[in-house]
Amino acid sequence: MGTAQFIQNFLNGISIGSVYAIFALGYTLVFSILGIINFAHGAVFTLGAYFTYTLTVGQFGINGLLAGLTIDNHLPFYLAIIIGSTLAGLVGVLLERLAFKPLRSRGGDQLLALVSSLGVALVLVNAIQYLVGAEIYTFPAEVYGTMKPAIMFKVGEQPVVIRTVQVIIFAVCMFVLAILGFLISRTRIGKALQAVAENQATASLLGINVDRIILFTFFLSGFLGGMAGTLVGTSFGIAGPYFGVTYGLKGLAVIVLGGLGSIPGAVLGGMVIGLAEAFVPADYSAYKEAVAFAFLFIILLLRPQGLLGRPMIQKV
Amino acid sequence: MKTILQLKTMSRNFGGLMAVNNVSFDVAEGEIFGLIGPNGAGKTTLFNLMTGLTPVSSGELHYCGELLTGLPPHKIAAKGIGRTFQNIRLFKGLSAVENVKIARHIKTSSGLWSSIISTPSCRTEEKCADEKAWEILRLVGLSDRGTELAENFSYGEQRRLEIARALALEPALLLLDEPAAGMNSSEKHELTGFIRQIRDQFKLTVLLIEHHVPLVMNLCDRIAVLNFGELITVGNPADVQKNTAVIEAYLGGE
Amino acid sequence: MEEFLQNSGFLIVTMVQQSLLAMSLYYPLMAGQLSLASPGFYALGGYTAAIIGTHEFFTPLRESIGWLAFPLEWLVAGVLSAILALIVGIPALRLRGIYLALATIAFVEILRVLCLNLTITGGAIGIFDVPQLFESRWSYIWIFGPLLVMMLFFSYRLEKSRTGRAFQAIREDELAADSMGINPTRYKVLAFVIGAVLAGIVGAMSAPFLNTWNARQGTFDASIAYLAYVLIGGSRSIWGPLLGGAMLSALPEVLRPLKDSRLIINGLVLVFASIYMPKGIAGVISRLKRSLTWKSRKNGGEA
Repeated sequence: MGTAQFIQNFLNGISIGSVYAIFALGYTLVFSILGIINFAHGAVFTLGAYFTYTLTVGQFGINGLLAGLTIDNHLPFYLAIIIGSTLAGLVGVLLERLAFKPLRSRGGDQLLALVSSLGVALVLVNAIQYLVGAEIYTFPAEVYGTMKPAIMFKVGEQPVVIRTVQVIIFAVCMFVLAILGFLISRTRIGKALQAVAENQATASLLGINVDRIILFTFFLSGFLGGMAGTLVGTSFGIAGPYFGVTYGLKGLAVIVLGGLGSIPGAVLGGMVIGLAEAFVPADYSAYKEAVAFAFLFIILLLRPQGLLGRPMIQKV
Repeated sequence: MKTILQLKTMSRNFGGLMAVNNVSFDVAEGEIFGLIGPNGAGKTTLFNLMTGLTPVSSGELHYCGELLTGLPPHKIAAKGIGRTFQNIRLFKGLSAVENVKIARHIKTSSGLWSSIISTPSCRTEEKCADEKAWEILRLVGLSDRGTELAENFSYGEQRRLEIARALALEPALLLLDEPAAGMNSSEKHELTGFIRQIRDQFKLTVLLIEHHVPLVMNLCDRIAVLNFGELITVGNPADVQKNTAVIEAYLGGE
Repeated sequence: MEEFLQNSGFLIVTMVQQSLLAMSLYYPLMAGQLSLASPGFYALGGYTAAIIGTHEFFTPLRESIGWLAFPLEWLVAGVLSAILALIVGIPALRLRGIYLALATIAFVEILRVLCLNLTITGGAIGIFDVPQLFESRWSYIWIFGPLLVMMLFFSYRLEKSRTGRAFQAIREDELAADSMGINPTRYKVLAFVIGAVLAGIVGAMSAPFLNTWNARQGTFDASIAYLAYVLIGGSRSIWGPLLGGAMLSALPEVLRPLKDSRLIINGLVLVFASIYMPKGIAGVISRLKRSLTWKSRKNGGEA
């Protein structure tokens, strides 16, 4: 592999890796608080992308129940992505109230949370299909403003091409990560969130409103998921209602690789898997989809607590 | 008397903390041997080392002349060491008699297929296991509630059921971790008699952890005292009571 | 009658087939292990049957043994599944709870991507024109039905056997089971292998039934569907997987008049069932039965 090819792969890797990171953060936040995996996270990812699309373009598609409906006032993309992600966050809140809280308050089996969240995923995915149809949507090229579609430079004789979208995705993700880092480590609510993740009973004895923190966590999770969906959507298009399923599964690999429940772990895991996929040789590109799962399987066997997770101590 | 169990410089540290430090002593066949010491002295850890639930950091454990260290718990159980747990670990969602029958595992041998087609030998074995389980339940006084789920039993009953389950292994050595915890004084008295009875009836050696000092002094032939993971002394109850290091261990901190 | 069988036959066979797949998840769960690997073995079994049934390498074999090729396919699928289950299960079953579930999801996905790319599995298109065992779809009940009855009998005997007790002990408390002389690894692997072999055989029976086989047969969605069958049917009763599998796989058909919104309702059913029937349908039935006998006893007492 030449230097140029290496740089090209590296840049592709960190761009997609940064999206994996913010998407996986949404998983890991919920896991750190409740110890469960929210299988509807992939559906929220899809939903966020649709929200932003609709706000930006003002259309609801041509096939579903809402076909032909239009909104006259289009929002600028940067405002739309914030509102779209916020809406996705609210869906997260709704999800917690409808699918998780009733199970918790009835002391149900943890496994049921998997089924329940999958039920919600099924509802969301099919609601999308019902309402806006199953076709692929593509964001208009000019959502990011009038910029050159790609940047090209040369390393030696070889060209390296980065699409503007990739740069923007990376920048947005870093920006979101910075804000999230600040929010969690410096603010009151962030510290409360950490306390709840550490120990719910103690946190509630300290006067923290655990229920509110759980809601806040689901909001953040949905927000991050929706934003990740939008960013991937601007880069590759929104590939129908099942758009989020693959990302939902890859996200699992990301959080386990980094360490279930670990926030820096989700970022590291996202980057590692993004890079690993980018470095799959072109001849084997068909196997690219298996890379994340190969990582998942191997890390589970060698180091189940993940790269940055705390080792699990079994109590006797 | 013949030595049944031999601990040789057994140690275990948890990330720098010496939970058990260089402990050596022998247990003779047929004795009731007490293990006492303040909270956090490493008594339960020592039990876990002996039964293979926690691997040793160093040291050896010999049982009837055989080296046990390094073996997994089920192999150690199969050698004839049964135990109960400080925080009661019954199979809560199963009935009392099922709890006891599960411990007949090593005394039975029916494979999957012979059970599915229900061969005559398998049926006989199953019937024997069933009878044995009820017999043991009768012994601990729980036979009239054998079909109830273990989780519905009172604290004292659960402790008795745990002993019944351990007895079903037909062990030669029985490790009891705080068998009297949560019992009132008349129950404790009853328990003392019961432990002696099973020791004689099944030719057992009993090793027990207990906090209630009068019970230990009354019941045990010999006592080992642990403090901060180290063995302070081993001896008969009268000697241990007079040992100044023991008195200090119990009173020193207060 | 004939018409009814033509119309509903496919659905009924599907209900039985899905119940069997739910059972393949039930055995590991009986030993306390949340494994979502069944679709992987189901896919493996299907490919085995499809390859033996269509590949030219096996033409002489097919011609010489005739219809016996089908039982042979089931046998080979079962054996291959057992071998793969041992290879995957022995390392993976050291993991607990959700970690094991994730490892099995990874296994299913890796297998899926492999099947999507290998030549022998027909790549993305899959394998077409798998030879049929019967002329009509509903006739497949004659293989799936007996298998279901056999497996119910198997479950019934297993539950009351030494092996079944070891499974349950591990589910209740693995460390305590270990201390009572039960080798947890051995029985966890055994439960996993039983589930895998069943899924593999069902796969081998399904390839002719569906006529075609491709990588969409073993997906994550299927993993979760089977888990839903077991949990909603009831994971503590041998009837649970049957009830859950039959009812949930029939649901989309029953809701067919609702057209596009039927899968939305299906999702809602999963959510509500999780919340309001935590012990599954089998749990609800046994609660009803208990309250009925209690009432009749009470009435009897008064009389």
